[in-house]
Amino acid sequence: MVDVSQHELVPEHTVLEEDVLEEVLSEYDIDRTDLPKIKRNDSALPDEAAVGDVVKIVRNSRTTDQAVVYRLVVE
Amino acid sequence: MQNSTPKDIGSINFGLMEPEEYREMSATKIITADTYDDDGFPIDMGLMDPRLGVIDPGLECKTCGKHSGSCNGHFGHIELAAPVIHVGFTKLIRRLLRGTCRECSRLLLTEDERGEFYDQIDDSRKLGRDLNDVTKAAIRQARKKDRCPHCGEIQYDIDHEKPTTYYEVQQVLASEYSQRIAGAMQGDEEAGIERTTPDELAEKTEIDIGRVNEILSGSFRPREGQRKAIEKALDIDLTEEDTNKLMPSDIRDWFEAIPDEDMEVLGINPERSRPEWMILTVLPVPPVTARPSITLDNGQRSEDDLTHKLVDIIRINQRFMENREAGAPQLIIEDLWELLQYHVTTFMDNEISGTPPARHRSGRPLKTLSQRLKGKEGRFRGSLSGKRVNFSARTVISPDPTLSLNEVGVPDRVASEMTQTMNVTERNVDEARRYVSNGPEAHPGANYVRRPDGRRLKVTEKNCEQLAEKVDAGWEVNRHLVDGDIVIFNRQPSLHRMSIMAHEVVVMPYKTFRLNTVVCPPYNADFDGDEMNMHALQNEEARAEARVLMRVQEQILSPRFGENIIGAIQDHISGMYLLTHDNPRFNETQALDLLRATRIDELPEPSGVDDEGEPFWTGYDVFSELLPDDLNLEFTGTVGDDVVIENGQLLEGTVAEDEVGEFGGEIVDTITKVYGNTRARIFVNEVSTLAMRAIMHFGFSIGIDDETIPEEAQARIDETIEDADDRVEELIEAYERGELESLPGRTVDETLEMKIMQTLSRARDNAGNIADEHFDDDNPAVVMAESGARGSMLNLTQMAGAVGQQAVRGERINRGYEDRTLSHYKPNDLSAEAHGFVENSYTSGLTPREFFFHAMGGREGLVDTAVRTSKSGYLQRRLINALSELETQYDGTVRDTSDTIVQFEFGEDGTSPVKVSSGDDNEIDVEQIADQVLDSEFASEEERAEFLGTKAEPTNLSEYADDRLVEGTEVTSDD
Repeated sequence: MVDVSQHELVPEHTVLEEDVLEEVLSEYDIDRTDLPKIKRNDSALPDEAAVGDVVKIVRNSRTTDQAVVYRLVVE
Repeated sequence: MQNSTPKDIGSINFGLMEPEEYREMSATKIITADTYDDDGFPIDMGLMDPRLGVIDPGLECKTCGKHSGSCNGHFGHIELAAPVIHVGFTKLIRRLLRGTCRECSRLLLTEDERGEFYDQIDDSRKLGRDLNDVTKAAIRQARKKDRCPHCGEIQYDIDHEKPTTYYEVQQVLASEYSQRIAGAMQGDEEAGIERTTPDELAEKTEIDIGRVNEILSGSFRPREGQRKAIEKALDIDLTEEDTNKLMPSDIRDWFEAIPDEDMEVLGINPERSRPEWMILTVLPVPPVTARPSITLDNGQRSEDDLTHKLVDIIRINQRFMENREAGAPQLIIEDLWELLQYHVTTFMDNEISGTPPARHRSGRPLKTLSQRLKGKEGRFRGSLSGKRVNFSARTVISPDPTLSLNEVGVPDRVASEMTQTMNVTERNVDEARRYVSNGPEAHPGANYVRRPDGRRLKVTEKNCEQLAEKVDAGWEVNRHLVDGDIVIFNRQPSLHRMSIMAHEVVVMPYKTFRLNTVVCPPYNADFDGDEMNMHALQNEEARAEARVLMRVQEQILSPRFGENIIGAIQDHISGMYLLTHDNPRFNETQALDLLRATRIDELPEPSGVDDEGEPFWTGYDVFSELLPDDLNLEFTGTVGDDVVIENGQLLEGTVAEDEVGEFGGEIVDTITKVYGNTRARIFVNEVSTLAMRAIMHFGFSIGIDDETIPEEAQARIDETIEDADDRVEELIEAYERGELESLPGRTVDETLEMKIMQTLSRARDNAGNIADEHFDDDNPAVVMAESGARGSMLNLTQMAGAVGQQAVRGERINRGYEDRTLSHYKPNDLSAEAHGFVENSYTSGLTPREFFFHAMGGREGLVDTAVRTSKSGYLQRRLINALSELETQYDGTVRDTSDTIVQFEFGEDGTSPVKVSSGDDNEIDVEQIADQVLDSEFASEEERAEFLGTKAEPTNLSEYADDRLVEGTEVTSDD
């Protein structure tokens, strides 16, 4: 089977630590449910990501070098 | 009331209405179906009861005491003789019936299951998902239960017959059970089933033999246990379906017993909406203001559709009650009940499938409540989102190259109909008086004045002089539009923000709106009969906003691709090409004439002196006068040569489409980004006027003779085409001999088609090239194609060389008759001619067969565009509806209305495409920018620091105000 998460076009997904998450949430003044969502069965997710976690996605961008996005893992 | 501040809506709650609530808000109970008595007065407790509100002016409302206009009307109510189902909730009623117990009305889920779904609903709510998904799943699970987990009662299936009937489906003993048993006991020899004697049956089923005989004779109906035993013993089915109709009253009783806790799992808030309220016992009667009657010319009253429907409901309601009191048979009662249900249903929605719509006497279906709201012309899309507005005008547009691109020519009759409000103060009182004294007909006049006491007076020819004397500070004058006023201008379809822009008014004679031709691309307008809309702004904020944000010059750069969407078009480009291509020379008079419509009134030093000793100026010199003095640019231009601009002087290259054109003209783009929108506006205006002068100087016209070619060229073209025909023949022969080798991934047939297409397209190109050789560089068609003004070399090829292969769906033409395209050809003729190759040019003329093929190909193009516009229009609508609530917040994130983040940074980079230097080939020089910033930081110690911004943005005020500011690059003090 191909591991999609290793493909060069799939950006890096990392599970966010709780304390870092708190910072992010307070920066944007939101609850975690206000974040964009990602399905648990998304093949780009790392194995340790569980429902309720927040992943940080770092994408290459044409205009900014890197664009950071946070997503809440849902069922 | 009129001047009250708008209120903020804190929240909106949706729920069901309790019958008691209907009664409480009701102004009166309605009991008679009649509306007016013989004298024309409304009947008390009738449908037009005066307590329901007033429509006739002058009368006083019996409930609130207000007059028509200020009284909104009041609801009444009808007490329904029997409960009926509300059509809007049939699906929810079905779900509740299926999910709750028929005996104890509790949800058919165990406590644990219920808790699980309760948590799920909580999660869904937090994540902003659709609650319906959870409630549907809960019902699905509840339906699986055969018995109620609480009281143990057997549950039956619920059948729903649209729109409003519900049945319980039960399995009961079939009426001909004894025959079925006897038949099964006979056995079947063929299938090898033996006969069963009654004794054997009695033994197998453990039923007393006497009972078995009774059952077999049909005199005893077996109980359920016995039935199952017999079924098992004989392997038969003794049941049949029995449907038991649920009357609305039964359903109401059922729902009343549903406990509150069970409902929250179904997404219903029991405090706000009890399910039994979905079964109506009281019907609210809309106020008369919602269903006004119309008095026809002959004095007859004509009632609204809703009133008609209410009359029906009351009539049936009364008949129902009378029949029930008289003790009519159940059958009649049920019929009347159904009829009442039908009328109440169609009162709310008259387009229900499976029910014939209620009709007017004329046969027209009635327009009832749901029809008033639904669809494009409904209350939401038609009346609330799509209001008609005052202070707007619409007329045909026509071009006027003498206007600035910021301006719009407004016909005087429009200008004197649409007004602007002047608040008269001591400073403008003389001006205001002048407007009023001109009256409503002379152009810069006034139509209305408002006295300080709020009274509005119409200005007429008769009273204008007297009124003008009375006007003083504190008055308001509605004066005509005058030059320099700002208005909003729009052309539909409004597909992007440049479809609505603000223009400055120039009042003109005649009946059309006039625009500068360079604003055609953003509006996608032409002058073949297009109409456009104009809106006069009515308050100072709107005017200021329009001037700063919406003026055409502020929209030169398109947010779609970050380059200019406004620039020279068509003849402007031909003109610039003629002016700069061969860098022609002009004497003083000519040069001044070219520049006469620009700001330039003095020529620079001449480029040289001609043979006669007269000084001359070149096209470059003339064009360079329009450029900012310190502009430096170098890029590859339209024609393929390098365009070099140094210190505002064009040194090399031809100015054409890619230099000054509409979509990303390099010079326009750079000027807009570096020197600002005002400078770009001036540049585009001047380029277009200079180009018009230039094209008039040289003269530019095109005719049929410009596309004819010498005979020897025609002969060569014919030869090329014949040659191609021969090669096609060869291909066909090879194919028929079976020698044609297929290309990878294609069949032989496809290969042949491809090769033929290739050969023929090459033939057309060759023909075009031959024709091309015979055209001079000053041929107008060539000039237009070269410069990018209009048309391409392909168009030229088709006019002079050969039109080429006609295609339908990307293939040669293959349709028509059996095995051939037209009856002029033999079946299975694969030749070029028989499949739509047009070897003639438009100038030489097409043969009838060629013409026919050409029409086939042309038709496809027309159909394509028609389909594309409708498809993309709908796509656009859906996209806009999905995106309309997204908003960029002050922290740079993009969020929807529930504050859910959509993008963490607008467009990932937080920049506007308009503010970014676009394109792959010009990388942003960060170092240089940093240097600039450092420089300015450093220099700030010096005195001139505060004025260092040598390229200060010009003001954003009126066109008339900022010209002088752009003149010098130094910022001059304002006063």
